[in-house]
This record gives sequence, C-alpha cells and structure tokens, in this order.
Amino acid sequence: MSALEYNGGSVIAMVGKDCVAIASDLRLGTQALGISSNFQRVFPMTDRLYVGLPGLGTDVTTLYERFRYRVNMYTIKEEREINPETFAHMVSSTLYQHRFGPYFIEPVVAGLSKSPTGALKPFIAAMDLIGCINFAKDFVVAGTASSKLYGVAEGLWEPDLEPEDLFETISQTLLNAVDRDAFSGWGAVVHVITKDRVISRTLKARMD
Amino acid sequence: MDNVYRSSGFDFSNSIRNHSLAEKGLPLPKATSTGTTIVGCVFKDGIILGADTRATEGPIVADKNCEKIHYITESIRCCGAGTAADTEFVTATISSNMDLHALSTGRKPRVVTAMTMLKRHLYRHQGQVGAALVLGGVDVTGPQLFTIHPHGSTDKLPYVTMGSGSLAAMAIFESSWQPNMTREHALQLVTTAISAGIFNDLGSGSNVDACIITATGTEMLRNFVKPNERVEKERKYTFRRGATAWKSESIRKLIVNEQVTPVAGEAMDVS
Amino acid sequence: MASADGGAYSYSLTVFSPSGKLVQIEHALAAVSQGTTSLGIKASNGIVIATEKKSSSILIDDSMIEKVAVVCPNIGIVYSGMGPDFRVLIARARKSAQAYWRVYGEYPPTKVLTQEIATVMQEATQSGGVRPFGVSLLVAGYDIHRGPCLYQVDPSGSFWAWKASAIGKNMVNAKTFLEKRYNDDISLEDAIHTALLTLKEGFEGQMTEKTIEIGVVTVPTVEELAAGKEGGETGRPRPTFRKLTEEEVKDYLAL
Repeated sequence: MSALEYNGGSVIAMVGKDCVAIASDLRLGTQALGISSNFQRVFPMTDRLYVGLPGLGTDVTTLYERFRYRVNMYTIKEEREINPETFAHMVSSTLYQHRFGPYFIEPVVAGLSKSPTGALKPFIAAMDLIGCINFAKDFVVAGTASSKLYGVAEGLWEPDLEPEDLFETISQTLLNAVDRDAFSGWGAVVHVITKDRVISRTLKARMD
Repeated sequence: MDNVYRSSGFDFSNSIRNHSLAEKGLPLPKATSTGTTIVGCVFKDGIILGADTRATEGPIVADKNCEKIHYITESIRCCGAGTAADTEFVTATISSNMDLHALSTGRKPRVVTAMTMLKRHLYRHQGQVGAALVLGGVDVTGPQLFTIHPHGSTDKLPYVTMGSGSLAAMAIFESSWQPNMTREHALQLVTTAISAGIFNDLGSGSNVDACIITATGTEMLRNFVKPNERVEKERKYTFRRGATAWKSESIRKLIVNEQVTPVAGEAMDVS
Repeated sequence: MASADGGAYSYSLTVFSPSGKLVQIEHALAAVSQGTTSLGIKASNGIVIATEKKSSSILIDDSMIEKVAVVCPNIGIVYSGMGPDFRVLIARARKSAQAYWRVYGEYPPTKVLTQEIATVMQEATQSGGVRPFGVSLLVAGYDIHRGPCLYQVDPSGSFWAWKASAIGKNMVNAKTFLEKRYNDDISLEDAIHTALLTLKEGFEGQMTEKTIEIGVVTVPTVEELAAGKEGGETGRPRPTFRKLTEEEVKDYLAL
C-alpha cells in the first residue's frame, strides 16, 4: 500500500451535453479502519469550476487551502475568474514543483470554460501526483477505486447526456465501482454543473 | 507573499515527511509513464517524427489518446518517453527557454541549442528526471535528429527509436530505412515503425501521431492513422431518470446575465 | 555592513525633498524627455506603437538597434529614454511572461505584465544602491479578457491606460496633435497613418523605413480565436503583436 491509498477515496468526472459532472465517495479511513463518512474531497473553486482531490487526507486539506489561496489571489490580481484550463495548468505546475517530494494527491478538475466566442464548453482533466495532465473528452477517474471506475465508466458513458441523465450515469458508475473497492464508499456526493446552475446531491449508498 | 513565479528549481519541503512515510511502509506511488514507441527519421527534405498515443499507469491504460510530440519551436519538435510529467515539463521548460533565446538573439534557434539545453538539464538531475527524448528539427544547418537519454547522453543518427517499443520500431528501420527517401516513403516507414510498437509492445497503443518538419514548414499529423478505433456500442446503457436514490439536494443558481435598471436620478455621465 | 542586498548603511538614492518631491524621479523623467519621441494609438481593431530610430553617427550599424520589442506573442513595448535601461526591462519582462506561461499555460494579460514591469521600476525608486530607470514605456497588447490595451509606464512605476499617448522629446506637441486627430472609431490603418503624421511633426531629418519602427496589435477574429494554438496542444497561441517589416513601413511612408 502506498500513501495514495492510506486514507482511501475516489473521484470521477464526466462530460455531458453542455454540462459536466464530478462525483466522489465520502469515506476517510486509516487503511481498513473507517474514520469518517462525511469527508469532502470535491471543492468549488469558482461558480462553474470544481476540483476533486483524492489521495492522502492531510494533503487533501493542505492542497485545497493552497489552491483556494491561489485562485483568490488570481481573481484579485487579474480581476477575472480563472478558467478551468488555466486552473488545471496551475494545479499541474504546483504538483510538478514538488516533483521530488510530492503531495499524495491525484487531482480531478471539472468545469465549464468560456470559449473565445463566449459560449460555455465542458472541460475535464485529471493529473497524476506529479502533475501530468490527462485532458480527456469523455471521463476521468482517480483514487483507490480508479481501476474499477475505468471499467464501469468505459461501459456506461456515452456522449451528449443531458444533465439529469449524466447524473444517473455518473452516480451509477461511482456507486458500482466503489462497492467493489474496500477503501472507497461510505456515501457519495455528485455535482452536476450546467450553464445556469449547479446541482449537488448526496447519494444513498452502501455503508459497509 | 508566496512567490507565484518561482522560475526554476524544485520544492523539497515534503521530502522528510514522505521519507518517514516510506519507512513506515507507505512507499512512493507510481507516476504516469508513457511506455511508448517514439521514432524519428531523416529523409530527403527534412525530418519525420512519430509517436504512439498511449499513457500507462502500471498495467492500466491511463490515457488512450495523449500527445507525445511536444512543441519546442516552430521548426523543432520533441517526442517524449518515460515519466509522463517529466517529458511534459522538461520540453515545456526548454521550449520556453528557446523562446527567450530566439527573442534575445533575434535569430531562429538551432536544434543543437535545444539538444544542449535538454541534455544539460537531464544531466544536472542525474537521471532523476526520467525523460527519454527524440529531438528533431530543421534549422539553418539543415535537418537534425537526436536522441537524448534520461542521464543526459545524446546520439545523432539518421534514424532513431526510443521507449519500450523501440526494439519493435528499430526492427522496421533496420530492415527498411534507406538514405534520401521521399516524403511519402519516409512517412510510410515511420507509420510502420510506430505500428510495430503499437501492436507488439504492451506499453504502446492506440493511434499514430506524426510530424513532418522541412525547411518550408512543419506539418503536425495528429492521429495520422487510427488503427484501434472503438466500435460504436450496439446498445445504449443510460439509466431511467430517478434510478439513483439520493438523500439530499442543494441547487446553486448561477447568474447567466444581468440587467441593470436605473431606478432614480439621471444616468451617470460616462462620457 | 556591506552586504549584497545593501545592508543597513546603504541608503536609497531616491530621497524626499522637504517639499515632498522625489527629485531623482523628476530627473529620470527629464532623461525620458530627452529621448526620441515614441507614441501609441489604440484603434477600434488594434493598436499601433511607433518610434523614431535615430543614430548619432552614420558610422553606427543601425540594423542592430531595436526600439520596439516583442515580449511575448500578444505583447510589445516601445520606449523613450535610456536604451540600456530599456534592454534590462525587456529581459525582465520576457522572463516574467515566460514564468507566467510556465505556471498558467497562457501568456499574461497586458495589464498583468504591465504591472509586473511597473513593480520592477517602482522598486528602483525605493531600494538601496540603485537609481530609477531612465525610461518611459508604452506597452501594447491583446488579451481575451480586456481586448486590446495600451499602457504607459513611467520611471516612478506608475502606469495608466491610454487611448493614445506620446513620450519623449516631442511628447507635448505630439499629444496635442493626437488629441486633435483621435476619435474612438479610428481604424488600425488610419491609426498607423496618424502615428506617422504625428512623428513627422517633430522629426529631424528624413523619415524612412530605416529611421522608423512600428509595432502593431491586431485583434483576432472569432475564427482566428477558434483555430486554437499553432503546433498542437503544447504549441503557441497565434501572435497578435508583431513588428512591421522595413518593406511594410516603406509602403506606409509612401502613402
């Protein structure tokens, strides 16, 4: 077991039609021992940008505070909201700065980005713990259940899902994957980001 | 204030903690690596670089269509194999330094310049920056092709391969490469070499990317051949709405557009 | 104590006079107003910055002189005042733009870069063992957020956005001229001509493609913006700032 798996937890993000969704479980453990069933690891950065930070619990908190600080400084200095692409680069360069003494986090970024024409475009990305970005067009996964999430998402995801359908697909993908992962589970939360609202729901999940 | 623009150098502040975690039985996790087949070959008018598009995390395919041919300058490109983050950042750093170099000298920078910057960077980190590179381009001295190993050694050859699929790809080059090939012939050869990697090496897969660099311009052929396209699903697997049981919901309404209506007084003079 | 950072016994050369003035800064401004005239005009679809490039002797190889400098693909700067000081600032500006690119994966907006340079210039008015920079700058750039922007930075480190401005030897006359000529919906082509006419006002000697330098910001069309980067995902954005070639300058002068 590595430090990435010590506290357990998984995150997934998916692209839909003019919307994105990001979801995670709520378990915090120390190896096999459950500690909390309400540990948030998905955080809003701007109105339409969320970041998921699965990995070592202490680094989840540290990096969240760090990114919150950086995004706030960016907003003040540049007098604008940060774009998801820009934020992903910022996260990635922060992680690579710690190339030889990394944070044990594999971030997932999901949001709607403003295209040059002003339209909102879905954006998702995932990174490894030293900041290599994976820009995917369908879905990204991370955490202790990632190997299971890959399989389920590969089977269930399809293009152009409406927000309500995307909610069902991402929820079922997450629930079924974490049910086969001993270190993830204990509840789940899903955020669906659309152009005019963010829907956050806590799911009914297995608590074993 | 936290210095946002730390220009170079790494932060080792977590090292002591991570070391103690490792001693307690929590070893350093694996980073994404690009198992990879990357090649380069000289032909009549310039250079062709080639790469597969698979990124792996141990036995898992992490990215099925990643881009391994990195931009250095308009007429210089670099393929990367090894630790994915290292190839990504080492090429970005050197491409940024090449931009500065071009601006301060007022000339188009040469391939050897990029090669020297890369090898010095890699040698300085004693192989800890795990990037194995194929660097190619055309400059004032003509077409140039190099390989750079993670410890900083370099080769200058007419055809080169790197990565876990390098043996498969080199087999193709050794049997079929000829001097003074035409563009079509060389592109065909590069495609065959990458395909050999894609189909025979587990660390390589998905599509063929190619990049043709000549004195007249650079042509990036992203997903030039897609021999592993996923067939369309025969059934839809969407769930009935309401299939997932949820306990609580919160909806945050976002502002889409604002309209300002002046209530009293004259409109402000903004002229 | 003599240390590299100045130490306790090295005082700033810029000290307030009893009347509240920083005379060193005023002297720096005097150095600027002895420099050759430079100007910038913001048009409806772009910006032009221009300057005269005059060498003190015909024996100088003027092909080496560069007064309009590219900082990054979206930003360019022209100066009036001391050449060597400008060179140092440009090197700093380029490094800053690249540092920003390495963190955010895009080049800085004009305002952020201007602020960065202005900070460097301000530090020279308050640090020990240094003098203020003897230059004023006109920074022209384009970014998605604010569109085309023209800023002037002075030796004190203060900066403002302008629709049109002039710095250097002939700045007062040039500004008066620009005030008469300027209107909000001037096109870039017209702005270039206006820039040349304004320079002509105080020009000593012959205005040729060898003695004029011009840089332009062009606002990209929606199609150009949608076309994305050059050279794939890891490539560069298409440049929005460029220097006009000698041939192009010659064509504008001929009209």
